[in-house]
Amino acid sequence: MANTITLEEIVAKTTDLPSVPTAALAVMREADSPNGSAESVAKYILQDQALAARVLRLANSAFFGLSRKVQTVPEAVVILGMRSVKNLCMVASTYPWMTRPVKGYLLEPKAMWSHALGVGVGAQMIASKTQSVSPDLAFTAGLLHDLGKVALGIWLENKLPAMLKIAAAMEAPFDAIERKVLGYDHTDVGGYIGEAWNLPEPMILAMRYHHRPDECKPESAVVDCVHIADTISMSMGMGLGGDGLYYEFSESSLTRLGLTVDDLGLLTDEFIERFEEQSGMFEGLDN
Amino acid sequence: MVVATTILVGMAETKTAKGPATFACLGLGSCIGIAILDPIAKVAGMVHVMLPEAFADRPIEKPGKFADTGVPHLISELEKLGAMKSRMKIAISGGAQVFKFGDGTASRMDIGNRNSTAVLAQLKSLGLHVVAQDIGGHNGRTMTFDSSTGEIRVKTVAQGEAQLCILR
Repeated sequence: MANTITLEEIVAKTTDLPSVPTAALAVMREADSPNGSAESVAKYILQDQALAARVLRLANSAFFGLSRKVQTVPEAVVILGMRSVKNLCMVASTYPWMTRPVKGYLLEPKAMWSHALGVGVGAQMIASKTQSVSPDLAFTAGLLHDLGKVALGIWLENKLPAMLKIAAAMEAPFDAIERKVLGYDHTDVGGYIGEAWNLPEPMILAMRYHHRPDECKPESAVVDCVHIADTISMSMGMGLGGDGLYYEFSESSLTRLGLTVDDLGLLTDEFIERFEEQSGMFEGLDN
Repeated sequence: MVVATTILVGMAETKTAKGPATFACLGLGSCIGIAILDPIAKVAGMVHVMLPEAFADRPIEKPGKFADTGVPHLISELEKLGAMKSRMKIAISGGAQVFKFGDGTASRMDIGNRNSTAVLAQLKSLGLHVVAQDIGGHNGRTMTFDSSTGEIRVKTVAQGEAQLCILR
């Protein structure tokens, strides 16, 4: 298997790449700005009719158990709260492509979504527990961390079995095999797309370094939160593809956040509870 | 194969049935699926354990979550349906893990391996042994159990499905 296509060509030639979640990014910026209000946040949501419809659907879902129907987006922002609404918007705008199968990685429909939500929820929990970085930022970075797989997956179709054989024979992580075969891996592709999308820097770093957090210089708490959450989500079997658990865990990520190996069990236990609670919130997106 | 009538055994769940039933644990990463059959009483069940041991300072809402509580829980649920420990046939699958590097403490974070060890230790302490096991490695697994034939099948995303054993 020779390297036949460059990273730039992959991104340029992949026709059904997910589109930039423009409105969700604008909502995130507005909600974080000192001048942001429910009105101004709602204005950005309303710029994307599909997003506005999904936000209303979520606000009216059984999860929130409201006694009356939420009719307008500004009302939904007030009821859900500015903080929840920015995460909801990012989920609502990425959900349609996150739930598609990614054949190159043998990810079944919804597998990418389940893993992304797991890493988002896990990173948010770790960020909040360690008070190392904004939990909302960690959530979004976790949600988007594997974006590179969506693009690279199209080009890996039919190559995966051979690559897995190499990974198994060499006892090497799958991203290392991607680099060996292609010269880059799905984290490089993700970082490249993240830059093209003009995502906030910490999210790009999480996309690029989530499998090799020690190489991120200077170190980044978001990267460490996403790395640990990714490992926990894989261990708990959330959205596993053909590449399974063929990835490395760096204990240094725990150390940098002031955690120890002994905390992992408890983090996992709490994570499962949070995940079950949070996944209920998004069931309304299917209706 | 997972079909519509399959009893799905989700994370931390324990499911049992008297008479013919098909069970499945989907998406086993480091978690372990434990299948038990009493072929005489025709009682069967599965548990999907996630962690090796319960935390002393946290309430146990779902005993199936931990190996040290999940194994005895499944056995006692089966006994309520008429199963006898002396006739129980057992298979386990799962316990995969990520690669690890770092210092010697790494083995403590190896949840897959610790889960396998804890499940086997629990079964042994209860005087039970497994007929077949497919544990470890780096692949996610789906484990299905047809109690009418005793057949256990294990599927990995990359390698497809194969029979692990027949419990009888």
